[in-house]
Amino acid sequence: MSDTILQLKGVIKEFRKFRAVGGAEGLTFDVRRGGFLGLIGPNGAGKSTTFNLISGVLEPTMGTVTFDGTDLSSLSIAEIAGLGLGRTFQTPRAFDSLSVLDNVMVGLAHDEEGPLAALLGRWKGTERALTGKAEAALERVGLIARRHDSVSNLSGGELRMLEVARQLVREPRILLLDEPTAGVDPTLQGKLSQILSDLHAQGTTLIVVEHNLGFLMSLADSVVVLQNGGLLAQGAPDDIRRDPAVIAAYLGADHEA
Amino acid sequence: MIYSLILTTLMFGAMFSVLTVSLNLQYARGGMINFGTVAYFAAGAYAYAIVTQEPPSGLDQYALGLNAPWWIGFIAAGIAAMVFAVITGWPTLRLRGEYLALTTFAFAEVFHSILLNERRIGNGSVGMANVERPDPAVLGLDDTLAYTAAACVLMLLTAWVFHRLLASPYGRLVDATHNDEIAAESVGKNTARVRLQIFVISAIPIGFAGALYAMITTLVAPALFTAEVTFFVWIALALGGERTILGAILGTMALVFFQEAVRMIPFETVRSAQIAASVEEVITGILFIIVLRWQPWDRLARKATT
Amino acid sequence: MTLFAQFVLTGIVTGCFLILATIGFSFTRRVEGFLNIAHAELLGVSAFTTWALNKLLGWNIFPSAFVAIVFTAFVGLAIGRIVYDPIRRFGPSVMLITSVGVAYAIGGTMDALIGTGIRTLDIPLASSIRFWGLRITNYQLLVVVLAVVACASLALFLNKSKTGLAIRAMSANPELAASRGIDVQKTSRATWLISSGMAGLAGVMLGVIATLSTDIAFHQILQILAVAILAGLGSLYAVILSGLIVGVAMDVSVFWIPAGYRPLIAFAVVILVLLIRPQGLAGSAQSK
Repeated sequence: MSDTILQLKGVIKEFRKFRAVGGAEGLTFDVRRGGFLGLIGPNGAGKSTTFNLISGVLEPTMGTVTFDGTDLSSLSIAEIAGLGLGRTFQTPRAFDSLSVLDNVMVGLAHDEEGPLAALLGRWKGTERALTGKAEAALERVGLIARRHDSVSNLSGGELRMLEVARQLVREPRILLLDEPTAGVDPTLQGKLSQILSDLHAQGTTLIVVEHNLGFLMSLADSVVVLQNGGLLAQGAPDDIRRDPAVIAAYLGADHEA
Repeated sequence: MIYSLILTTLMFGAMFSVLTVSLNLQYARGGMINFGTVAYFAAGAYAYAIVTQEPPSGLDQYALGLNAPWWIGFIAAGIAAMVFAVITGWPTLRLRGEYLALTTFAFAEVFHSILLNERRIGNGSVGMANVERPDPAVLGLDDTLAYTAAACVLMLLTAWVFHRLLASPYGRLVDATHNDEIAAESVGKNTARVRLQIFVISAIPIGFAGALYAMITTLVAPALFTAEVTFFVWIALALGGERTILGAILGTMALVFFQEAVRMIPFETVRSAQIAASVEEVITGILFIIVLRWQPWDRLARKATT
Repeated sequence: MTLFAQFVLTGIVTGCFLILATIGFSFTRRVEGFLNIAHAELLGVSAFTTWALNKLLGWNIFPSAFVAIVFTAFVGLAIGRIVYDPIRRFGPSVMLITSVGVAYAIGGTMDALIGTGIRTLDIPLASSIRFWGLRITNYQLLVVVLAVVACASLALFLNKSKTGLAIRAMSANPELAASRGIDVQKTSRATWLISSGMAGLAGVMLGVIATLSTDIAFHQILQILAVAILAGLGSLYAVILSGLIVGVAMDVSVFWIPAGYRPLIAFAVVILVLLIRPQGLAGSAQSK
């Protein structure tokens, strides 16, 4: 098993003529197995687009994304997810007509989820076992009391935590989180920080896009900085903090704010 | 007279409810706009007729008549609709919203045109008359009553099967697919498969209803299976509030009742009957617009829950 | 070979008619954002208004046609105002389904007023023009000329006039257009008038080159949909191209297969195109 779990090689994404990701020679970086990578950059740097390219929501115009030796370019979102990749979205996505608990249950691989099992009514046993798992995940993200609520009653921050719970139950090998602390209150942020450390300790690879650098720098073991779709810098958090190019482009301005 | 009006309404209402309930599954739960509903209905009716009728003789132009018992024809109707749904659904379901509506509509028109022009299927525009059917008199039952009961059974069975499908983890998956496909895909769900399944599953009862329709009218002809059937079912669905199975059934019953009632009015001349039919069409159209505009059922439902 | 060329020529005429019939539909789709199934009914409204003025009241064909087109334009505007404006917030699907109701209401009204049967306009018989062994009637030629004139003036209007530019802005991005101070009400009114007026023109043409019966609208909507899907519900030029493709394909197909299948060809083309390019001929690709 190689040390690299995810590899981007010369990745370029263009919308019509506008190059959203890739910079001059395409985006290239490796993600270490079991690592905690922070992905930062000013607004419009291409962070979310990069996530979409990795998870298959978008197809690269050029270049390849390789996950554990598998080229992802011809795979669908579901197939990539099936390989063990989980992700959340910049704007949280919830299933509006389902309860909080059911939103998490959808995340589970369910053997009795087909139409035949439904007709034969052979799903109640499996369902009970899986409900326990989903409730445990809701407990971890602090939403257990809301499990029978409609998702329309959740705040933006709670929706983010719900998305995290939906991914947690899947136990992905690599988890991509897009601005997980945005709109999340300090109590839940504490829980999130705990969850991320736990996952990291268990060996789950993490890639986190985050504007809250205080939160991110304390957890990440390496950082990739994007600017205008290209790679600006890459290294350990402490080195990134001192990198003059990064400070000029991004950190300085954001730290004062 | 009132008795026969109620019976006819119940018979055709229950039969068309099968279509509405299926469409409700496709649209309200699956998020797919199928504007070609009539094609699956016609596929069922023709399959039933072809399987049960005697081999061609005399002036017949159709090529195939299997002379099989009615229940084989009935099963064949379900299979025909299912196969047609796979053929039309597989390539088109990656289309969204209005494109899907247009393509299913196009498929239905193509199918209609083939039935009309290819005489070897079912005598072209003439159609096939005297379609074989089980005779309820054997059991000592009144004809209309027996077929009304059959239509009601088919409707209830369809509603029950769909309810059972949706009140399960599968129903949750269907809702998730409808709510947010990308989010469902992101947890590894094959949403394309779910959409095709729903599309095909809901076509099967439509095929059965087609067979029943052929039994009731004892006639299959292209003129019975125009896009007006599709629109009729859509209007009934909108009338019923498009959310619940019960609403779909009630909407269909109301619309069929309205049409049958107009048909009961005795007219002096052909022209006045024609005008009445046109006015019925206008009222149906306006009702449809009003229901979609003010959505009274949704409002009532919201009031009931809060 | 000459026969084949004749079919192509007739196909071009059919195509030009389809362009006239589809422009308004495609225009509504772009600006108002939904598929107006009732658009074809407006062809019927115009054709039968012309017929009523021309045949029942004995007017000359030109004033009859003019009044019919203007009348149709305002009928379209009224429907847009009364029916579609209030439901815009429900989205294109509800608007599409509502337009089926509108089609029923208009179709039923025409049936009630006019009744079944085949009608013709009171105009001189068509005379043929022959060249290279081909034949085209003066009325067919008129359809081609009007299609060219209508397309050219619409293109000019959209690119040069203030209202035209506002319409284009609105079709590209309604919210942005509103925030830039474009009068949405006025622009929408112009859209309804133009697209319904185009339907009116097509309706008159239908009366001139063919016979009329109240179910024509229904037959037309099938072909209009075919052209519109093929064009990817896109620009004016895409509509012109796909109108010609569908028209020629339908008429040339008669060369090989029974004429009864002619309408089917339109949809065969559409299904093929959608399977290969789901976004239509000219539509832009979206992310998957």
